[in-house]
Amino acid sequence: MTATTDATFEAARRRPGERRRSRIMLTLLLSVFLLYSFVPLVYLVLSATKTNGDLFTTFGFGFGTEFNLWQNLSDLFSRDNGIFLRWMINSVVYATLSGAGAALLATAAGYAFAKFKFRGRNLTFGLVLGAVFVPQTALVVPIFLLLAITGLNDNPLGVILPLMISPIGVYLMRVYIEQGVDEELLDAARIDGAGEFMIFRAIVLRLVAPGMVTVALLSFVGAWNNYFLPLIVLRSQEYQPITVGLATWYQLAQQGGGGGQVLFSIVITGALVSIIPVIVVFLLLQRFWQGGLTAGAIK
Amino acid sequence: MTKILNPLGRTMQRRNFLKVAGASVAAAALPAFPALSQDKVKVLLWSWVPDLQLQVEMFNAAHPGIQIELVNAGQGDPQYQAVRAGLQAGSGLPDVVQIEFQHLESFRQLDAFADIGPYANARKGEFPAATWAQVAKGDVVNAMPQDTGPMAMLYRKDVFDKHGVTPPATWDEFADAAEKLHAADPNVFITNALFSSGDWVNALLWPMGWKPVTRDGDKLVININDKISKDFAGYWQKLITAGVIETKPGFTNEWYTGLDTGRYATWLTAGWGPVFLTSVAKTSAGQWRAADLPQWDASKFATGNWGGSSLAVLKATQHLPEAAEVAIWLCTDPEATKLYTTKQFFFPAPSALLSSPEWAGDKMDFYGGQAVNEVFAKSANAVLPFEWSPFQSVIYQSMADELGASLNGNGTLSDAFDRIQDAVVAYAKEQGFTVA
Amino acid sequence: MALSNSQAAATRPARSGGFTSRKLAPYLFLAPFLLLFIAFIVAPLVYAFYMSLFRDTLVGGRQFAGAASYVKVAGDAKFWGGVWNLVLFGIVQVPIMLSLALLFAIVLDRGQVYAKGLFRLGFFLPYAVPSVIAAIIWGYLYGPTFGPFTQMANALNLPPPDFLSPDAMIFSLANIVTWEYVGYNMVVYYAALKAIPSDLAEASQIDGASPWQFARLVQLPLLWPAILLTIIFSINGTLQLFNEPFLMRFLARDVINSSYTPNLYAYSLATQNQQYGYAAAISFVLGIVIAGASYIFTLITNRRRPEQ
Repeated sequence: MTATTDATFEAARRRPGERRRSRIMLTLLLSVFLLYSFVPLVYLVLSATKTNGDLFTTFGFGFGTEFNLWQNLSDLFSRDNGIFLRWMINSVVYATLSGAGAALLATAAGYAFAKFKFRGRNLTFGLVLGAVFVPQTALVVPIFLLLAITGLNDNPLGVILPLMISPIGVYLMRVYIEQGVDEELLDAARIDGAGEFMIFRAIVLRLVAPGMVTVALLSFVGAWNNYFLPLIVLRSQEYQPITVGLATWYQLAQQGGGGGQVLFSIVITGALVSIIPVIVVFLLLQRFWQGGLTAGAIK
Repeated sequence: MTKILNPLGRTMQRRNFLKVAGASVAAAALPAFPALSQDKVKVLLWSWVPDLQLQVEMFNAAHPGIQIELVNAGQGDPQYQAVRAGLQAGSGLPDVVQIEFQHLESFRQLDAFADIGPYANARKGEFPAATWAQVAKGDVVNAMPQDTGPMAMLYRKDVFDKHGVTPPATWDEFADAAEKLHAADPNVFITNALFSSGDWVNALLWPMGWKPVTRDGDKLVININDKISKDFAGYWQKLITAGVIETKPGFTNEWYTGLDTGRYATWLTAGWGPVFLTSVAKTSAGQWRAADLPQWDASKFATGNWGGSSLAVLKATQHLPEAAEVAIWLCTDPEATKLYTTKQFFFPAPSALLSSPEWAGDKMDFYGGQAVNEVFAKSANAVLPFEWSPFQSVIYQSMADELGASLNGNGTLSDAFDRIQDAVVAYAKEQGFTVA
Repeated sequence: MALSNSQAAATRPARSGGFTSRKLAPYLFLAPFLLLFIAFIVAPLVYAFYMSLFRDTLVGGRQFAGAASYVKVAGDAKFWGGVWNLVLFGIVQVPIMLSLALLFAIVLDRGQVYAKGLFRLGFFLPYAVPSVIAAIIWGYLYGPTFGPFTQMANALNLPPPDFLSPDAMIFSLANIVTWEYVGYNMVVYYAALKAIPSDLAEASQIDGASPWQFARLVQLPLLWPAILLTIIFSINGTLQLFNEPFLMRFLARDVINSSYTPNLYAYSLATQNQQYGYAAAISFVLGIVIAGASYIFTLITNRRRPEQ
């Protein structure tokens, strides 16, 4: 480190006032980007308070001529016999089950990869990770055709089960377990006569809980945001998740012909409502979320 | 029945009365037969029509032996995908399915349909000839027409009046008016031409006698870049070059607002347009009027069709008679079809409704008290015959891609039609057709 | 990629009666995951590969075509045009997104700003918005005639921006993706930074290194695996771009054609053209392109990896 000398002096010369100024400067810099992050969300909130008519004729970042939020909400939840609530529930159920399932499966698999030697380990692991590169379109259409053969089409399991597969979750859990679970602890338990399943349940699961939450969250968000798979697999409106449902309403207006309708305010209000659960989950699990990512990222 | 509806209005003609009476008798007689078995026959129906459950309940009430199970499997493309995938997998298909007219031929090609001719042919006379021609080939009937979309022109009376321009009746006048309006106010365009919607372009080429694909067995004649489309392209290219029209994608918030604020003085649209417009252009209520589609040859009034759909019975059904009854009843029952015009705002397919004073004479405030349906009903009876290709979505896709590209600097509209021709010919050959 | 099994446990044979169970255990732990993996990834892939060897035609039905589809992909200008679009997209978007994420992570980690929690959450919030919905919202904002930015430009007598024009579209899409994922990547880096032992920071302070030097010489090398991971994921995500252009297409059909991205192309081939086999072949080639791009990138960067 030869170049450090100048900097040393410079750093030493810095006075508290200067430091405060740089703090303000950095805060301003970040604020600009924060504004950028918020602009579409502010637009979303404001738009949800407008009537269809005001939506595009009044200024986008201001209120409309009347405050229509409650009416929009009531329209949203009453349209098509209240199907929107059903979509919300579907999304919550699918995302929760996929998230929990993915975390559990990935932990068990990651544990096997991390702490056991067995034939074909490297090959299997390589295959699992290679799946990251498989394009969605390559999978979705054949999945649909295979589901049709097995009678699982238009069945929520056709969405939940595939979303439980998280190759990156397996990778994260493998690394996490390699680093976070002490080999000697496991051996000690074995000497005490504990069975493998018991060890997994009583020791491993407890030690890697934060990592599991991360994988669960990743999969939860992945399932919540997924559009393509349920679009193809689920047909009945009452099984659809919120992304597919809202996109259907959005497209109603895009297609003329029989039954074309314009539902912009409903779609906008629905979009706003639909992101609230994810935000709540984020806020609740923020700590785990960040803690858990560490292991996988820094390895 | 506690409520007695007279679906055809007071001046119902005797012929119609008999028809209605006949239908009621048929409906009343039907329960006797299936009631023998306690199990109801379940008919699975896929449709995206909003509130169709109303008609479904009417049907179920009138048919104790048949129970329709209604599923919304997505609007348009997503549903077709599901049908195609179901055909491919050989399972997971409904008995009756909503199909837009332009896609019927594609599904015929996949051998998807049952022939409901034996049940449906008796109803042929209840529809305009051009409409029936969409669902039937001779005596083979694959679907029942549910709603249609004959073309006409909606225009802003206030905008034309303000600039002292007369609404055009011919395409020459249309071009004139386009220049005058834009010269008077640079923020006004006579229309926003939807060149990136293949179906809209098709609807305007239709009255010109365009025959893009004609078929004889597995032999196809593909004439997409013929003189007709070249004339059409030349006409619109002039307007584009002069900058007197806009060519943005339609059915976007931008476009709706453009209609609402008077940026666009006309909308060349189909029979479902008038009611659709009332929901997207609320602030301009009262300013709109309807007129005939501009004509190329004023002496030969001809129009085309944009949109509209049918209920088709799939070959895979295990209950052909019941499925056929579902399709036929939902498209012909006087009460059910009338409800389409008041609840779903369909443009009606049956002739009886088209000529009913109650519907055709409906004076809408949005149109300054004009009976706009009359204009479109006139158009419905002037729709020329048209032959759909067995791969219409491929043609529409190619039209959208290539016409869109030409708007963005890749040649002219005319060049685009050449490219579409090449792409479609290549596709047809690849698909095993003989292209003459 | 740093996926080796370097830290794999050195397993000692167990002495007790648990021997068989211990031999069996890894298979049992793997079984549930592998079962689903085989059912929903391997089997569909095998099926897709099988399909790609056939040609579906409207006349004559399904015929064996061998490698014909793959030969056709190799010379398909639409496919490679879509790949090229995304290469341009990625070259612009990925570096911008990741450098912003890195910058924010470092600044937030140092705590040299006010309202740290607000920033961390605020940057991350867009990730909670499904890409389908993000595309709808941005689509409204981009409106060239009546969108809010155009409204503002008109009010200020400036020429209105046209976000949906052919030249601007790729950047407008890049903006949506950046908006969605900067926060996500930032959190990955932030978590990695938090894992750097604090004594390193203290030591470097005693050495008199400036914060910038500390970042460049100490933090960056330690962050490298995380950065590599996010880059590979971004390359992967970029080449598979689908949702955003799919929905923006409704607003700009003239600009986003059916082969704008390879995934859109495969989707339209399968759904509109009913060329399932060819769509499957396209997807396979795309997968190979993605894996190849990631591999090449890893090779290059491993060679010129920042010194530790």
